[in-house]
Amino acid sequence: MNSLRNYDSYSIAQDTRLMLKRAEQESVETVWDRHERQSPHCGFCEMGLSCRICVMGPCRIDPFGEGPQQGVCGADADIIVARNLGRMIAAGAAAHSDHGRDLVEVLEKVAEGKAPGYSIQDANKLRLVAAEYGIEALEREPLAIAKDLAFAMQEDYGTRKKCLQLVDRAPSQRRALWENLGITPRGIDRETSEMMHRTHMGVDNDWVSLLLHGLRNALSDGWGGSMIATDVSDILYGTPMPAFSQVNMGVLKEDMVNILVHGHNPVVSETILQACASPELIALAKEKGAAGINLAGLCCTGNELLMRHGVPMAGNHLCTELALTTGAVEMMIVDYQCIMPAISKVAACFHTKMISTSDKAKFPGMVHREFHPENALELAHGLVREAVENFARRIPERVYIPVEPIPMMAGFSIEAIVKALGGSVTPLIDAIKSGAIRGAVGIVGCNNPKIKQDHGHVTLAKRLIENDILVVDTGCAAVASAKAGLKVPEAAVMAGAGLRSVCQSLGIPPVLHFGSCVDNVRILNLAAALANTLGVDISDLPIAGAAPEWYSEKAVSIGAYFVASGVFTVLGPMPPITGSLNVVKLLTEGLNGVVGAAFAVEPDPEKAAILIKEHIDAKRKALGLGV
Amino acid sequence: MKQVVVHPEKCVGCMQCTVACAVAHSSSRTLYAALLEEPLPRSRIHIGSTRFGRGFPNRCRHCDPAPCMRACLPGAIYRVSEYGTVLVDPDKCINCASCAMACPFGVIRYHEDAWAQPGKTVAVKCDNCLSRQLRGLIPACVEACKSGALGFEEMDRAQRRKTDAVSDTVWSTSGVVLPAAGSIGFELLHAQKKAMVEMAQTSRA
Repeated sequence: MNSLRNYDSYSIAQDTRLMLKRAEQESVETVWDRHERQSPHCGFCEMGLSCRICVMGPCRIDPFGEGPQQGVCGADADIIVARNLGRMIAAGAAAHSDHGRDLVEVLEKVAEGKAPGYSIQDANKLRLVAAEYGIEALEREPLAIAKDLAFAMQEDYGTRKKCLQLVDRAPSQRRALWENLGITPRGIDRETSEMMHRTHMGVDNDWVSLLLHGLRNALSDGWGGSMIATDVSDILYGTPMPAFSQVNMGVLKEDMVNILVHGHNPVVSETILQACASPELIALAKEKGAAGINLAGLCCTGNELLMRHGVPMAGNHLCTELALTTGAVEMMIVDYQCIMPAISKVAACFHTKMISTSDKAKFPGMVHREFHPENALELAHGLVREAVENFARRIPERVYIPVEPIPMMAGFSIEAIVKALGGSVTPLIDAIKSGAIRGAVGIVGCNNPKIKQDHGHVTLAKRLIENDILVVDTGCAAVASAKAGLKVPEAAVMAGAGLRSVCQSLGIPPVLHFGSCVDNVRILNLAAALANTLGVDISDLPIAGAAPEWYSEKAVSIGAYFVASGVFTVLGPMPPITGSLNVVKLLTEGLNGVVGAAFAVEPDPEKAAILIKEHIDAKRKALGLGV
Repeated sequence: MKQVVVHPEKCVGCMQCTVACAVAHSSSRTLYAALLEEPLPRSRIHIGSTRFGRGFPNRCRHCDPAPCMRACLPGAIYRVSEYGTVLVDPDKCINCASCAMACPFGVIRYHEDAWAQPGKTVAVKCDNCLSRQLRGLIPACVEACKSGALGFEEMDRAQRRKTDAVSDTVWSTSGVVLPAAGSIGFELLHAQKKAMVEMAQTSRA
């Protein structure tokens, strides 16, 4: 069948292009089809000018002046845009922080001996983090420390504190700045809850103070919920170390039982990984005619397994339906976040079993098997057994695996980088001072059907490394650059001479995989460590952030905590704020005078690269470094 | 010739057509840039509010003969026959509002416009998105409408579809049912009707 569509314009990834053609032949509807049907999108909502907060409305402000300029309550464009943005930050911060909370719960259950299948894998990190919380860590059993640490972290979620514990990792100048602005995050849940309160009708109707609280809310995610999520994951499952793996839909194997994990939280996927290694289940798979059991990841729960265990990645956000369209997946196990409710419809066209696992995330067309720390290992074994038994129902004629996998390297935690540098960040600072590495940029965030898949991430990464700027990335961005072959040591030849020589001497790629979306805090930690070593603020460093293809509320929170921490951040898609030029001006210019960094919006990655290079040059100049 | 057909019963009052119209008549033709233009572009389609809060997308009907055209003293209003469209020449318009008095629908507005001399207030109304139609696009308001309140089709075809819908409604609400299978009336039907009745009955069962 000749397709009428030009799938080359949908994505730069070969596997996506081929699978889209396959989806068309199989009459599988994808996210791109639905996006097309939603176009054109509502202009009021695109500009942030519609308000559904109360039932005197819903209201809209007419940006072209003919219709109303105030909602029923009297809120003007500035207030409505700020309230909507505030609620986006609250939702994003809530998502990351709830993810962190689930991990703290597992830590607590491990300490109480009620979580078979989980254990403390990095007792050293446990001691270090416990010490930050003022918990006696010497001469004590890890489980006793874990119990105290879980309790202390749970307090960070509440109301009793004036400041989150891990905020202490930020440079003192930054902490003083937050204190003066009144945006020091006090409690993780408190800030989100307060945002919901402030944005209720008739509470905070000053767009500036709404946005300032938005920054505080985002900081409660970056230096709170997400930071706890990453640290506790490292403690429970091991701190990542560099390892080789593979990426793209070619990691699915025609002769094996394929299980995909999709979502964000390693709590479920870690136990699935253990079950997949069970000799009994592998033997069963062979009995059923398969060569073995193959576990692969999608999205961030995949990134978590990749970082710590080298589990291969089948793809990022826009690949999730297409991975099922291969017809080679026996089972997909999901937890939460970024899982499209449409996905079961694709599975229904094949033999694939769909399993939801979280008490807070159910999906149409999925079988619900609720995971809790107490029953996780047992459940995981049962599910993997079901997947193996499902292998017999696969229809070989309908299996289509479009490409061969691409090698990649992942696992770059701060600890791994410091170890590679011989025990401190000094060599990295020396490389930045000498100009071999001009600066560092974190490329983060999602895929979005509004932007050609991976084009934003990959083009920006290529331009930056050509200019001797080290790229670290997370989430879907990290998977995009891996698919494009930028995550092998040999990719150093694509970098400028300075960065190339640094990468070649260390045997590392020019684009470093930092992990999942909560692992953006590794970038914060690295920025804080560099700033502390140099005795400057984060906003003085030659670094930047970018979210070239973002779509989710979580990305808004991430962008806001990066900027509030002093990191210039370039967004690809425009957030829904253009209805208020005051808000746009504050976020893109005014914040420079408030937190020493601001946002820029630039959908074209070529132009974004130029913006970032200019910013890094300016910062180098201010530090007295060569440009 | 295709025309914009309004189905008022389907309008949900979202006003997306007004935003799309303003953008389509801006100089930049993009949402974000349009907001920065001087003068601000304005919609040519207007959502009326009715007694029960239902919306109605009110736009120029491009009448023939057109009362506004007859009322226009300087002859600024003219017709493009092949597109069934009545247009205002902003250079000839003298902002006298005679057309407003003549227009039965209240769809003409008076303001500065990107297509008139700077600073000049002129009569502005729907132009059937002629510039879009020449580029093979449908009118912006129709493209934006998600509820089917605005269609773009041959008027004849639209009326035929409405005829079918009305006929179906009349039949299904009239209480007249076809004789049930096995009755004498049923035996009098010809074979195809019989089959249809039987199929309808089994599908309801």
